[in-house]
Amino acid sequence: MKEMIRLENLSKSFSGIEVIKNISFTLTEGEVLSIIGPSGSGKSTMLRIITQLERADNGTLTVDGLTMFRSVDGKAVYSKPDELRAIGLKMGLVFQSFNLFPHLSVLRNITEAQRAVLKRDKAEAEEKAMSLLKKMGIEDKAGQYPFQLSGGQQQRVSIARALALDPEVLLFDEPTSALDPELTREILKVIRELAEEKMTMAVVTHEMHFARAISDYAIFMDNGVIAEEGAPDELFGNPKEERTRKFIASFEE
Amino acid sequence: MTGLLMQMLEGTVTSLQIFFLTLIFSLPLGFVVAKGRMTGIRIIRWITDLYIQIMRGTPLILQLIFVYFAPYYLFGASYDRFTACIIAFVINYSAYFAEIYRSGLQSIDKGQYEAAKVLGFTRSYTFFHIILPQVIKKILPALGNEVITLVKDTALAQTIGVSELFRVAQTASSRVFSTVPIFIAGVFYFVMNYIVSRLFTAGEKKLGYYR
Repeated sequence: MKEMIRLENLSKSFSGIEVIKNISFTLTEGEVLSIIGPSGSGKSTMLRIITQLERADNGTLTVDGLTMFRSVDGKAVYSKPDELRAIGLKMGLVFQSFNLFPHLSVLRNITEAQRAVLKRDKAEAEEKAMSLLKKMGIEDKAGQYPFQLSGGQQQRVSIARALALDPEVLLFDEPTSALDPELTREILKVIRELAEEKMTMAVVTHEMHFARAISDYAIFMDNGVIAEEGAPDELFGNPKEERTRKFIASFEE
Repeated sequence: MTGLLMQMLEGTVTSLQIFFLTLIFSLPLGFVVAKGRMTGIRIIRWITDLYIQIMRGTPLILQLIFVYFAPYYLFGASYDRFTACIIAFVINYSAYFAEIYRSGLQSIDKGQYEAAKVLGFTRSYTFFHIILPQVIKKILPALGNEVITLVKDTALAQTIGVSELFRVAQTASSRVFSTVPIFIAGVFYFVMNYIVSRLFTAGEKKLGYYR
């Protein structure tokens, strides 16, 4: 199986405080990786480095065989801007706070990047957008604006927006943390469907049951390190580390 | 009476010239200033901040006098008063517009930039198609206020001898020993500002389709 993401020895500090310490993992094509851990453990920062919203201090990252940055003398050296752009387009990111464009209709939120970045023509972009909206069960919202939608609908639009660019990997940064339980279920259902279609995904989440159910591999991060990792049934059902046990137990109440 | 009205219309044309020329130059220039105010380069930030402080902290009437007379006292060179008037208005209004732009730019959630970046938009595409439309909606009310003030501020151009509407009215007033021309000028200003404010209201309405 092809390695979609290979991260080696990533480290990152913010103003002298090391938030990610020597983290490595690989994500294989067609698999789902879930990343759990307390807030401030570095999960989101790691996703943000992979999607180039933050820069790595040290480490090596390859995406679908292309190097984004590699470690040279203890420092992350990034590839050229056009290569970074190409790598960026291999990945889609779904944000906790959706970040839809409020001035654009739902349809245009999904067609804008297809047209401006992938240079698809209008008809093709709209066809793609409509089929994704249909898949998300909200094709009737195409002409509306984000503020007219519920949080769950907005998040589905943002998933459609990411999928419209045909990414190789879809990354989720706490996609349900801004949603109430009912809307959370809507989104989890969508992600589960994508998993069934063998979409390669990495999901940072606090939904333990969901993570256990859909992922092929799970990582527990604490204090900037991978404290424990393994098959989800092992990690969630029979954690070896005390802190993993404590963290997972804190969700059972 | 027709003679007076004709004179006042001429003055109005001058006022409108000041108004439009100021807008044409200071609306884009204000953006450059806002960028300078927000840059990471400390010295540029410091200089633009000082410039804005001076422009906002001293009377426009004084700035007009300074811009017109300073070259004479410094280099013994004098120049066209209308040009001086435009320069003074432009540097003053650029500072105010810059602060409005800055507040607008800073009110945009950084998630908008992040979403745009992850979707692969270039920086300029992000600015013109994602950020700017949202900034315009946010700053339109403040911008409207400032533009209305500009209409009234054009009356200050007379300080350095530009024959704009108010000066014409004042001159006429002392010629005919009556305050009527000044009140007529008031109606002129009111009509101009009524149009300006209607235009801004229409603009706000047009952008009211989203939140």
